[in-house]
Amino acid sequence: MAQDPDAALMVAFQRGDAAAFRALYERHARAMVAFCHRFVKDPARAEELAQDVFVKLHRSAGRYAPSARFKTFLYRVATNHCLNEVRRGEYAARQATPGASPDDRDGEAGAPDLDALPSSAASPHQALEAGRLEVAVTALLDRLPEKQRAAFVLCRFEGMSYEEIAETLETTVSAVKSLVHRATVAAAAALAPFGAPGAAGEETP
Amino acid sequence: MNHPLDDLTALLDGALPERRRAEVERHLAACPTCRAERDRLAAALSMLGALPAPPEPSPWFATRLEARLAEEPPPAPGLLSRLARWRWRLAVPATALAAAAAVTLLVVRQQRVDEETLARSLDLMENYEVVASLGDVESEEDAAVVASLHELVGKEGRP
Repeated sequence: MAQDPDAALMVAFQRGDAAAFRALYERHARAMVAFCHRFVKDPARAEELAQDVFVKLHRSAGRYAPSARFKTFLYRVATNHCLNEVRRGEYAARQATPGASPDDRDGEAGAPDLDALPSSAASPHQALEAGRLEVAVTALLDRLPEKQRAAFVLCRFEGMSYEEIAETLETTVSAVKSLVHRATVAAAAALAPFGAPGAAGEETP
Repeated sequence: MNHPLDDLTALLDGALPERRRAEVERHLAACPTCRAERDRLAAALSMLGALPAPPEPSPWFATRLEARLAEEPPPAPGLLSRLARWRWRLAVPATALAAAAAVTLLVVRQQRVDEETLARSLDLMENYEVVASLGDVESEEDAAVVASLHELVGKEGRP
């Protein structure tokens, strides 16, 4: 019935196997935290959102039919949750009196936290560049209309095909093609200042 | 051919149908404007690869999640297990129907009415929705199961 190991785990969980749910979140926790981080800047908040997603998944397990791909089911829950969070943040920002924001929208358009830069970067210069690039990408994502943002994140960071994105966002492949294209054009404009010499020749087919 | 600017991202993503891909490639070979645009998009995509790695789950991720899940009610049974429960409950009205059909059979025999009437009565047993409507549907959840029973007939067989 379910060749997809995640779908099999979900079905086992529906039958009352709590260990199956643990296996599910262990498999996807990393991806979920990373995904949620594309919608909120604070890593601790991203982790909370990822936890919310698993709690929601736990609650809605009964509605999961093994015919649906688990991945798209999971990312649909996650996308809706993250976009709601973004809307809440925007609402709170509009409501807040200037200078007295109750919501921690910290780090917004701020400088990268240099202490938090990844150790994977080969040199301090590269790390600084990567940090500046991240600030630019974050600002770009915040500017994108929400559907473009969701499609772009699913495509560029989760590596989903247009078909999978269409299933996740419950829309058509041609709509996804257009969303991803418009977001990519916006990204090209936003990231042009970072263009390293020679980078233009690198095609990723 | 107009400039296929709207197809350039899909081209880079390998998401164009083969014929369209060939057309766009031919156009690119002849059009420096579109080549430049394609390169600009490709550069942006390759820059995304230079982003710092996203944050990892903290070491407390599992502990905190388990604590939250412990507050949650156990999972609502899935459709299949709810069906399994219903199957048992269907047995009661189904038996009643079978008895009714048996009575009908006698009456039919006695009255020598066409056997079609009997066949129609027996058909009722085959019809989940009719059978279910005889039993009392207690909750919305069960009503939803009943409504979707027909979808499951193919997979699950009949009780």
